[in-house]
Amino acid sequence: MTAIDPDDHTVDELTAALETIDDADELQSVLEAERAGQDRATAREAIHRKLEEIAPASDAESDAVEGDTEPEGEDEETKADVDDDAERTDGDDAEADDAETEPGEEDGEDPGEDDVLSHPTRDKQHVRALEDGDYADMWIFCETQGGELLDVSREMLGKGRDLMDQFEADYGDQEAVVAFLMGDDCEALAEECIASGADVAVYHEDERLERFLHKPYTEIAAHMARGEGTVESTDWREYDEPRYILFPATNNGRDLSAKVQAELDSGLASDCSDLFIEESDVSNPVKTGEPGVKKTVEKVLHMKRPDFSGFEYSTILCLDNPNRDFHPQGCSVIPGSFDPMEPDADRDGLVVEHDMELADDWFRVGIAEHDRLEAGIDLTGHDVIVCLGRGIADAPTEGMELGLDLVDAFEDAALGITRGIVTSSYQFEGHVEAYSKEERQIGETGQVVAPDVYIAAGVSGAVQHKVGMDESDTIIAINTDPDARIRDFSDYFIHGDLFEVLPRLTEAIEAGETALEPEAVADGGEGDD
Amino acid sequence: MTDDHEHYEAVVVGCGPGGAAAAARLADHGVETLVLERGPEAGSKNVSGGLVYAEESAPYTLDDLFDGFREAATERPVTDYYIHNVAGNSVKTYDLTDLHEHDTDWCDSVLRRDMDSWLETRVHEKTSATGGGVLTNVRVNGLLRDHGEIVGVTCDELEPIEADLIVAADGVNSELARDAGLMDWAEPEEWFQGVKAVVDMAPDAIDDRFDIGPEEGAAHLFSGDLFEDVRGGGFLYTNADSLSIGTVFHLDSLVEQSAEPHELLDALLTHPLLAGWFKNEYHEREYAAKLVPDSKKVAHRRPYRDRLVLVGDAAGQMQAQGPIIKGMNHAVTAGALAADAFAITRGTADPAAAGRRYTTLLEDSGTMAKLRPRRYDLARTVGERDTVTNAVERVLASPIGSLAVGNPIADRLLQRAYNSPFLVSMLPDTKTGYISLPTLIAEEHGKTIHWESDIEPPTLEERIGDLTYDTDVGNPHIELRDESAAASGAAVTACPVSARDFGGGCYRSEAVTTNGTEETLVSLDTQPCVECGTCAIVADTEWEHPRGGKGVEYREG
Ligand SMILES: Cc1cc2nc3c(=O)[nH]c(=O)nc-3n(C[C@H](O)[C@H](O)[C@H](O)COP(=O)(O)OP(=O)(O)OC[C@H]3O[C@@H](n4cnc5c(N)ncnc54)[C@H](O)[C@@H]3O)c2cc1C
Ligand SMILES: Cc1cc2nc3c(=O)[nH]c(=O)nc-3n(C[C@H](O)[C@H](O)[C@H](O)COP(=O)(O)OP(=O)(O)OC[C@H]3O[C@@H](n4cnc5c(N)ncnc54)[C@H](O)[C@@H]3O)c2cc1C
Ligand code: SF4
Repeated sequence: MTAIDPDDHTVDELTAALETIDDADELQSVLEAERAGQDRATAREAIHRKLEEIAPASDAESDAVEGDTEPEGEDEETKADVDDDAERTDGDDAEADDAETEPGEEDGEDPGEDDVLSHPTRDKQHVRALEDGDYADMWIFCETQGGELLDVSREMLGKGRDLMDQFEADYGDQEAVVAFLMGDDCEALAEECIASGADVAVYHEDERLERFLHKPYTEIAAHMARGEGTVESTDWREYDEPRYILFPATNNGRDLSAKVQAELDSGLASDCSDLFIEESDVSNPVKTGEPGVKKTVEKVLHMKRPDFSGFEYSTILCLDNPNRDFHPQGCSVIPGSFDPMEPDADRDGLVVEHDMELADDWFRVGIAEHDRLEAGIDLTGHDVIVCLGRGIADAPTEGMELGLDLVDAFEDAALGITRGIVTSSYQFEGHVEAYSKEERQIGETGQVVAPDVYIAAGVSGAVQHKVGMDESDTIIAINTDPDARIRDFSDYFIHGDLFEVLPRLTEAIEAGETALEPEAVADGGEGDD
Repeated sequence: MTDDHEHYEAVVVGCGPGGAAAAARLADHGVETLVLERGPEAGSKNVSGGLVYAEESAPYTLDDLFDGFREAATERPVTDYYIHNVAGNSVKTYDLTDLHEHDTDWCDSVLRRDMDSWLETRVHEKTSATGGGVLTNVRVNGLLRDHGEIVGVTCDELEPIEADLIVAADGVNSELARDAGLMDWAEPEEWFQGVKAVVDMAPDAIDDRFDIGPEEGAAHLFSGDLFEDVRGGGFLYTNADSLSIGTVFHLDSLVEQSAEPHELLDALLTHPLLAGWFKNEYHEREYAAKLVPDSKKVAHRRPYRDRLVLVGDAAGQMQAQGPIIKGMNHAVTAGALAADAFAITRGTADPAAAGRRYTTLLEDSGTMAKLRPRRYDLARTVGERDTVTNAVERVLASPIGSLAVGNPIADRLLQRAYNSPFLVSMLPDTKTGYISLPTLIAEEHGKTIHWESDIEPPTLEERIGDLTYDTDVGNPHIELRDESAAASGAAVTACPVSARDFGGGCYRSEAVTTNGTEETLVSLDTQPCVECGTCAIVADTEWEHPRGGKGVEYREG
C-alpha cells in the first residue's frame, strides 16, 4: 500500500506528500523506507510529526485496518481498547481485551524511542502475536436474528464455497469453509450452514447468547478461532488460526469484526463487496524485510471495497511482516454482494459444539429491553386471516364491515387487504377507514402470512399477492369470477358474491357449523399452482 | 455557499448512449468527469426498438468512441429491410433496403441492458483515468443553483455536487430539462409511446425463418389497419437469439382513441403475418415501454442554460420520420459534440460558453437539420391540418384514389417513394401517412395470407408478474394531483401497464359514491410502473423517477 518512496523526494516534498497519508501503517512503512535509505533526521521528524497528528483518529493496530470509524452503538468501546494505556493490569476491567490468553511474546520489534504507534501491540501485553504460524481454512461468522440465519450469512457461505473450491483447484490443497455461530439455540442453524456450503460448522449455545453482546461474542469467537477448548471439540483441526475470516458488514457484524480481529492481532478490511484469492507481488520493505526486493506472496485474499465516494475500489491486502504475522486475513462483507448457493440438505459436513466456560463477568452488560421496530400491525401468528380485495368496490364500507364481522366470529383472526385496496380511491367511512392502510397489506410488498385458514374475498390472486399467503394451510376464496386466478391455489372456491357469502359464513361460524350448503362450494382442486 | 460541495469539472447525468458518449469524449479531452446513473446498472432502465445507426454523415458514431463496440455490444447487423402494409389479412411488402442504406455506414440491432452496461464499463475505465468514474444507483433530483445560476446537481443519495459543465443525458422525461425550464411535459402530440416485447427464438431458427445467415439480420416494419385508427406502426428486429417486436404510436392519437397499448402490441404479435415466423412457439422474455420525443416538434434549438447542456432524448433529439427511428445515434453525436464544446471553451469566463458552442456544433454538423427538417415544417402547415387531412382521406377513399394507387405504375412509384429519404421526411404525421395510404396499398397490391396465428401473448397481469421490481415501499414516485376522470382518466388506457377493468395496473378507474353522488375517480398504484413517462403527460401528476436503484429493472431493454 505504500504510495511514497521517500528516496524520490526532498524533505520538503516529502512533507507535502505526507499530507495525503492518514494511515499509520503506511506512514510507518515510509519511515522504514527512509531509515533503510537516506535516513535523514529531518525526514524522520516530518514523518513522526504526521504520525502524531493522526494518532488519536487512527486505529493503530495493524496493517489493513481500514478506518471503520463511524462508531455504531457500543463501538466506542473498541476505540477505548485501542487507547487503553499500558498500565492496565490483567483482568481488572470487564471491558479489557486481555482476558485469558497466554502472556505475550513481544512482537520482536525494538521498543526504542518511537511513539506507541510503531509498536501496534505494545499496549496489549497478552495478545499472542504469531510469527510463522500455521494457518488454514476460511472462517465465516454466520450471524443470526430471531432464530434464523441472516441472508448475508448464506451469501458469505456461498462465496466462501466458491473461493475454497477455486483454492483447491489452484493450489491442490483442500481447505475447509468453516461456519461459526453462537446463540441460545443454534445447532439446527449450524446444520443449515452445512447445507449452504460450509464443511464444518462450529457453534456455541448458551441461553445468555440469545442476542448479540460483544464481549462474550468476541471472547467466544477468538477462542474458537485459536482452536482452544477441549480436545474433542478441536481435534478436527491442526492449525494456529484461520487463514481467512469473514464477517457480515451489519451493525453487529462490523462491531464484532473489529473486536475479534483486534483480539487475534490481525487486520480488517471493512465493508467489502468482492473477494478473490491470488498471489501478490510485494515490494514494501516492511513486508519483505529487505528494501528493494520484490517477493511473491501466495494465497492472498484480495478484499475489494468501494472507497468513500463509491465509484473507486480499493483492494486491501493483509500481509504478514517478517517478524509478525497478520492472520487471519479478515474482512466484513456488504450484505447482498454475493449469491447464496441453493441449500442442499444432503451435503456432508461436520457440526462441532464448541466448548468454553463463559465468565459471568462478560455479561455485566446485558440487554434490559428490546423492541423490533416494525410499522403497526402484525398479521402473522393468527389462526385465521380474512383478506378483502377489490371485490368490495360496489360498497367498500359495507364490504369492510362484513369482513370485520367474520373476523370477530373467530377466536383468533385478523383482517388483511390486498394492495388493490390500499391504493384505491374508495371512500371508506371513518369507522373502517383505518383498515384500508398499507400496514394491513398482504403480499410481496406487504406482510407474509401462513395461518391455518385464509379466507380471500374478492381477491383475484395476483402473483404478488399469492407469495404473501400461499403457505396458508387451507385457502378459501370467494369470487364472482369462476376463472379468477386464485382458484388455482385455493382449497375451496366459493363462486359467489362476497356481499352475500360473507354474512352467511359469519352466521355459520357463530352457529358453530362450519359447512356451507354444498351447492355453493366448488372444490378448487388441490395445489396445482 | 459553494465551498463545501464536492466539485468535478464535468458531471454527466445518465449513462445511456448520450451520456456515455459525452463522458467518453470528455475523458478523451482529459476532463475530470463524474457520471451519475439512477439504475442499478446502465441499461436497466432503458428501452429502444433496437437499431443503432452509424450514419456516414455523422461526426461521431459509437464505434468511433468505443473500440470494439460492434463485436461486444450489438446483436446482428441489419442486412434486410422491409415494410409491410397491412389491410386485414392482405399484406403488401416493399423492400426498403435502399432507404435503409442511405447515409448508413452500418446499422446493428441491440438490446439495451447488454449494450448500455458494456458502455458503462468502458466509460468507467475512461473517466477513472481522469479522476472521475460512473456511479450507479444515484438519482439526480434537481439542479443546484447559486444566486439563480445553475452550478451543479442535487441527488437523492449524495450531497450536492458542483461542476463546470453539467450534461443532462437523462433521457425522455428529463427532470433536469424540466427543472431548467427548457422542456415542458404538456402536449401529447409532441411524443410517441413505444411498447415492445422481446421474444425468444433460437439463433438457427432465426437464420432459417428470416432467410438470413448467422452474421446477418432482418428489420421489418408494419403499417396499415393493424392498429385501427391509432397513428403509428410496428417493428420487428432480429437479435442474436431473440426478436424485438414493438409498436410506436403518437401519444395524442393513443389518447384520442382511448387505445390500450398492450392490445395494439398484441394485434401485431397475433397477426397472421408473424405466425409464419413464430411457428406457433411464443415465449416472451420481457415487456417494456418508454416515451420518445418527436424531434420535429421538440428538438430544442438552444439546448443549454448556464453550465447545463441537454443531449439526446432529454433535448428532444429523437428523429422519427416515417419508418426510420433514430434516437440513439443522435444522442451519441450530441453527447460527443457537447464534450467537444466544453473542451474548446474551457477556461472561458462565461459559464454558458460551452452551451453556446454546442448549439453551433449541432447546427454546423448538420445534426439539427436532420432533427428538425425545414421541409417538414413546411409540409406540416398544410398536411397536418385536419381539414386538409380529411380532404386527402376522402380522395383516397374514393374510386379515384384507389385508381391512382392501384395501377402498376403507381406500385413502382410507391416503392420508389418509400425509398426516398426526401419523400419520407415529407410524410406528415397524420392518418394519411400511417394508415390510409398503407391500407389502400395493401388492399390494392397485397397478397392475402391464408394461415392464422395461434399465438397467445401473455396478459398484462402475467407481463407485470414477469418483470423485476425493487419496490420503494411507502415512497411512490408519482403522485396524482387530480384524481378526477377528466384530468387523469386518459392514463387508465394510455399507461402501458394499466387497462380498463384491470385492477392490477397503475391506473384504475373506480366508481365512487360520496354523499350519495356517484362519480368516477382514478386511483394510482406505482408498484407495477415501468417508468415510461406517459402519465407525466396525459394525467395530472407530480411525476418523478424513483430514487436510485428502485423501481423496474429491465433485463433485456
Ligand atoms: C420502443 C422504442 C423503440 C425505439 N427504437 C429505436 C431505434 O430503433 N433506433 C434508435 O436509434 N432509437 C430508438 N429509440 C429511441 C432511443 O431509445 C432513444 O432515443 C435513446 O435511448 C436516447 O438516448 P439517451 O442517452 O438520450 O437517453 P436514454 O437512453 O434514455 O438514457 C438516459 C439515462 O439516464 C438515466 N437517468 C434518467 N434520469 C436520471 C436521473 N434523474 N438521475 C440519474 N440518472 C438518470 C436513465 O436511467 C438512463 O440510463 C426507441 C425508443 C423506444 C421507446
Ligand atoms: C411490484 C408489485 C408488488 C405488489 N405487491 C402486492 C402485495 O404485496 N400485495 C397485494 O395484494 N398486491 C400486490 N401487488 C398488486 C397485485 O398485482 C394486484 O394488483 C392486487 O393484488 C390486486 O388486488 P385485488 O385482488 O384486490 O384486485 P383485483 O385484481 O381487481 O381483483 C378483484 C377480484 O374481485 C372479484 N370480485 C369482484 N366483485 C366481487 C364480488 N362482489 N364478490 C366476490 N368477488 C368479486 C373479481 O372477480 C376479481 O377477481 C403488487 C404489484 C406489483 C407490480
Ligand atoms: S404509471 Fe405512468 S410512468 Fe408508470 S408505466 Fe404507467 S404511464 Fe408509464
